[in-house]
Amino acid sequence: MSEAAAKTHENFVLPINVVTKIDVSRLVSEVERVDNDMTASAVRNKTGSSAQPQPVLSDQLNQFLNQNKLVLDTGSHRSAIIKELRLLKNKAPVLHMTFAVTADIESLQKLTEWVRATIHPQAVIAVGLQPALVAGVYLRTPNHVHDLSMRSALEGRHGLLVDELEALRGGK
Amino acid sequence: MGLFQHKNTSAPKSPQEEATDAVVNYIDETFKDELRAYGRSYFEKIIDDTGALFQQDLNSTIGQVNVQLQSHVTKQLDVAIAQVNTQLKERVAKQLENQFAEYNKEMKQAQAVALKTLTDNSEQLQAEYNDLRTTLQKNVADQKVTLTNVFEENKVRIAQMKEAQDLALKSLNDSAEALKTQYAEINDTLRYNVANQEAILVSAFENNMGKIIEHYLLGALGDQYDLKAQLPSIIKQMEENKEAIVDDMKL
Repeated sequence: MSEAAAKTHENFVLPINVVTKIDVSRLVSEVERVDNDMTASAVRNKTGSSAQPQPVLSDQLNQFLNQNKLVLDTGSHRSAIIKELRLLKNKAPVLHMTFAVTADIESLQKLTEWVRATIHPQAVIAVGLQPALVAGVYLRTPNHVHDLSMRSALEGRHGLLVDELEALRGGK
Repeated sequence: MGLFQHKNTSAPKSPQEEATDAVVNYIDETFKDELRAYGRSYFEKIIDDTGALFQQDLNSTIGQVNVQLQSHVTKQLDVAIAQVNTQLKERVAKQLENQFAEYNKEMKQAQAVALKTLTDNSEQLQAEYNDLRTTLQKNVADQKVTLTNVFEENKVRIAQMKEAQDLALKSLNDSAEALKTQYAEINDTLRYNVANQEAILVSAFENNMGKIIEHYLLGALGDQYDLKAQLPSIIKQMEENKEAIVDDMKL
């Protein structure tokens, strides 16, 4: 309890399979569901009903609890975790990344790993799709845009390409 | 029994009586029978002979009679037939004459009726012919007048049509000349415009050639890279922009 109480949304460690803000929202919803189930089970136990089975947790929640060394044994713990997770959901820095192709989960996890190691430990990604980018990524931070796509790279070299074509045409 | 058994002793008899008695006494029953048999056979013999002769005579007589009768009958028949023929001829001739007379009479009557009918029909035909001739003459006269009128009208119309055709032909010629002129003008304009469009298109193509090639390159390269292949490049570029990103995220 003491260790869990020391954990706040500012020092939560997000597992690698929690990639997007939706994943964080899913964590919040799952903890709330588990809290409801366990509370209901405790009430039933007090009334002498048969023992209810322990709720099944997702891999994301399991890893989150393990990496942060948290437990859901008491209602106060669960309430504190829910509260902190809600804060995390609202305050976690979001990095909008738009790709030219559909992003697979492994690539997203690698990018998330790099972002959390380099940019912010609790950063999450919002994924978008724009085939016109051809390749690369269109990155949007809270206040800036970083166009790291191939379209941007070619546009920068447009004049060079025209010069080359003109030279080729003139040569003929 | 003897010859004198029945001798009458009572009174003397005359010689005739005595002869009769003698005959009677002499011709007894046996003798009678013998005589009777003899007579019968003789009679039969005579009858046979006489019958044969009679039969012979009868046959010859019958044959003669037949011949005579045949000749007589033939003669009578010839006479009768001749008479009948004569009478028949006379009767038939008379009947034929009567019938011919009757037929002639009826034929004369029929000829008279037919002649009368033909006369009537002829008169009727003559009357109808006269009517038809009159009607035909009238119709011909009407048709002549009508055709004359139509001909005159058509003549006027043809003249008008000819005039209209001349006008139309003149108009067509004028239009053809105008079209030829317009065609030449349009041809010149079109050539000028085509040359201009060509120049514009060439210029636009030259101006956009870079974009076109760029678009082609983008399309050709875009499908060949998935995110895994792009990941090192993306991380490298993000690494290059790391400071800017971090600064923005801290704000």
